[in-house]
Amino acid sequence: MRTIDTIRRSGIGIRPEQTVREAAQVMEHSGVGALAIVEGARLRGILTDRDLVRRVLATGLALDARVDDVMTSPVVSIDADADVHDAFALFRTHGVRRLAVVRNGQFVGMVTIDDLLVDLARDLVDLSRPITAEIAHAHRDSALPVA
Amino acid sequence: MEAHIGDRIVIKGHRVDEPVRDCEVIEVHGQDGGPPYLVRWSDSGHETLFFPGSDATVEHLEHSGA
Repeated sequence: MRTIDTIRRSGIGIRPEQTVREAAQVMEHSGVGALAIVEGARLRGILTDRDLVRRVLATGLALDARVDDVMTSPVVSIDADADVHDAFALFRTHGVRRLAVVRNGQFVGMVTIDDLLVDLARDLVDLSRPITAEIAHAHRDSALPVA
Repeated sequence: MEAHIGDRIVIKGHRVDEPVRDCEVIEVHGQDGGPPYLVRWSDSGHETLFFPGSDATVEHLEHSGA
């Protein structure tokens, strides 16, 4: 499976010069925990709700500070057509919860550990279904023919 | 996804209590109508860049014939 096929939620982006207040409002209205910080077609960084807590609230930074002052950069990214197992490896090695998905160097979306866990849980249910049915209906096996 | 200025993009909720949201395309930054789009959200009025995922569908603006 390609990484881009695992993206469940549309990505939201704002410009680097926008304020942390605007970023928080966009997150609240969009129901997302991370925004792409995009300049032109270039991904400059990612701003997460955790960035807002650690770098704004905890430090007393003004709410009209620019988002590029508090965003996470550089961003761990993966090519849109890369196999999803490559995404697993990046999550493992970098200890992040989100990866920026890029195509030809341009941001196209974000994949999260949560997205991948949902997919994995669904796959496990599908895999276990024949075994569950076998256990539940074992008594329905027809008798072996008597020679 | 292909969209044009004036089109409406609808994003379905991901949870039971999450409302459907929609936005209007005000700029198309990709080639041939492709993303990303600069959009204006109907509920908040915010303008953001939008990178559509599988949760988004586009409703094309009805163009009246001359």
